Amino acid sequence: VRLIVVLAAAWIVLVLSLGAWWITLVIRQARRIGELQSLTGSADSAVAAQWASTRRMVIGESSVFLLLLLAVTALLAWLYWRESRRARGMQAFFASVTHELRTPLTSIRLQAEAIAEGDQRAELARRLLEDSSRLESQIDKTLELARIEGGGPLAEQSVPLRGWLERTLTTIAAAHGGRLELRVQLDDSLPPIQADAAAVQMIMRNLVENSVHHAQLERVQVQVTARAHGDQVILEYRDNGAGTSVQARELGRLFGRGAGSEGSGVGLYLVRALMRRMGGRADFFSAPGAGFRAELRFAASRDEAAA
Amino acid sequence: VSTGAAGSGAQLLVVEDERNVGQTLAERLQGAGYRVTLAESAARARQAWRAQAPQLTLLDVGLPDGNGFDLAGELRAALPQTAIIFLTAHGNPEERVRGLELGADDYLTKPFHFRELLLRIQNCLKRAQDLAEVPGEMRGVVRIGRARVDFERFSAEVAGTHHALTHKECAVLRLLASRVGKAVSRDEILDKAWSADEFPTSRTVDNFIVRLRKLVEPNADEPRVIRSIRGVGYLLTEVIRE
Repeated sequence: VRLIVVLAAAWIVLVLSLGAWWITLVIRQARRIGELQSLTGSADSAVAAQWASTRRMVIGESSVFLLLLLAVTALLAWLYWRESRRARGMQAFFASVTHELRTPLTSIRLQAEAIAEGDQRAELARRLLEDSSRLESQIDKTLELARIEGGGPLAEQSVPLRGWLERTLTTIAAAHGGRLELRVQLDDSLPPIQADAAAVQMIMRNLVENSVHHAQLERVQVQVTARAHGDQVILEYRDNGAGTSVQARELGRLFGRGAGSEGSGVGLYLVRALMRRMGGRADFFSAPGAGFRAELRFAASRDEAAA
Repeated sequence: VSTGAAGSGAQLLVVEDERNVGQTLAERLQGAGYRVTLAESAARARQAWRAQAPQLTLLDVGLPDGNGFDLAGELRAALPQTAIIFLTAHGNPEERVRGLELGADDYLTKPFHFRELLLRIQNCLKRAQDLAEVPGEMRGVVRIGRARVDFERFSAEVAGTHHALTHKECAVLRLLASRVGKAVSRDEILDKAWSADEFPTSRTVDNFIVRLRKLVEPNADEPRVIRSIRGVGYLLTEVIRE
C-alpha cells in the first residue's frame, strides 16, 4: 500500500510538473509568435495567417496533452478506488467463508470426539450428515462464485419446469430434514424456460438455505408458484420467516449481510448473477415479520418440442 | 483431563445459535459432570442468567439477535462473579483483544478440542473461585484513590457511578492492594492474574493498568495512586478501609 501511495504521489507530481512546464512553454511560444508577427508586419496577410495557425496549433496540442494527462490520472485514481473496495469486499468474504467453514467443522469435531469415546447414538450421525452437507454447500457456493466472476459458460437449454422443478425442490428440501415444508404450484400451461438446469438448481438451493438460516423458525413454510407472462415465465418463491429490515436493493449485494446475520453474503448475490447471465432477472422483497419473497423472471423457451 | 468427574456440578450457560454445536456441546459438558443450560439467542441468554446465575458462560460472538461482545458487557454488569469464555469462529487478534478487554476470562477459536475446552473451563472456574474468596482485610468497601471498591461484588463506585470490574481488573487491583506501598513486578501480575494457557505480554498488563488508573486516579495523566516503578512494575500507594 505504501508503494502504491508513493507511486501515486510521484505520478501526480510528474503530471503537475509537466503541465506547468507545458503551459510556460505555450505562453512563451505564443508571445514569441506575437513578437515575430509584429516584427514582420501585418502587411503580409499570408505570413500573418501562417503565424496565427501555428499559434492555434501549439495551444491546441498542449491542451489535448494536458487533458489526456488529467484523464489518465483520473482513470488511475478510479481504478485504484475500485480495486481497494473490491479488496475490502474480498477480505470480508474470506472472513465470512472461514466462519461458515469453521462452524460446521466445530460441530463435526465435537461429534467425532464423542463417537471416538464410545457414544453410538444415531443422532450424532444425523448431525454429522447435516454439517457435512453445510460444508459441501459452502464450498459449492464459493466455487460457483469464482466461476461466475471468471465469466464461466452456462449450458442453456429448454427446461420444462413442471415435474422437474418439483423433483429438484424435493431433493433440496430433503437435505434440511423436517425443517422445511414445501408447496409447489405450477400452471398446467406453463411453457419451458430457456435456462441452465444446473444454475436453476443452484438458485433454488440458495433460496432454500437462505430461508432455513434466516427464518428463525423451527419449521419453515416455502411456497413456489410459476406462471407464464408474455414471453417470460415468472417464478415466485415465498417463505413465512422472520423477514429482514435490510432494504430490498441491498438484498443480493455481494458480501452484503444483514445485522446479526452470519451468512457469507454470497447466496442471494449468486441468485441474481445467475439470473442475469441467463438473460432473466431476480428481485427480492422482505420486511420484518413479513417473510422473504423472490421473483425470478426467466425467458420462455421457443423450443416447442420440450413443452 | 478426566471427563467423568471434571465438572463437579458447576452451573454453566452455553450461548450458541448453531443448533448442532450447541446441543453437542451441552450434552458433552453434561457428560463431564456440569449442569448446563443452552440458550440459542441473546434474549434467551438473558432469561437464563436471570433464572439460574451461572458460574461460567460459554458465549458465541455472532448471535441472531445481537452481538456476543455487547452481551458480555450486560452479563458482566448483571453477574460480576460469573466467568466468561468466548467461543468464536472469528480468530483475528483484534477481536480476541476486544473480547478479553470486555472482561472475558478466556477466548477459544472454533474448531477446538473438547478436552482443551474442559481444561480452560476448569482453570476459569478455579480463578473465579479464588477471586470469590476475599481475605478479611479486603472485605467490605475499600477506598483506592477516588474509587470505592467492593472486591466481593466486583464493583467500584466513582463519583456516585457504579462500574462493574472484570475478573482480571479485580485480580490485578487485589494483588496491588495486598502489597500496598511495595512494588509488584509485571511478571508476577501476569503470573497471578492470567492463566498459563493464555499468551499475554507485559504490554497487556500496561493496558489493564491504564484502565484501572482511569478508574482510581483523580488525574490519570499524572498517576499518584498506581505509580510506575521503572524496570520493575507498579506500586499502589494507598488503600483505606471504610
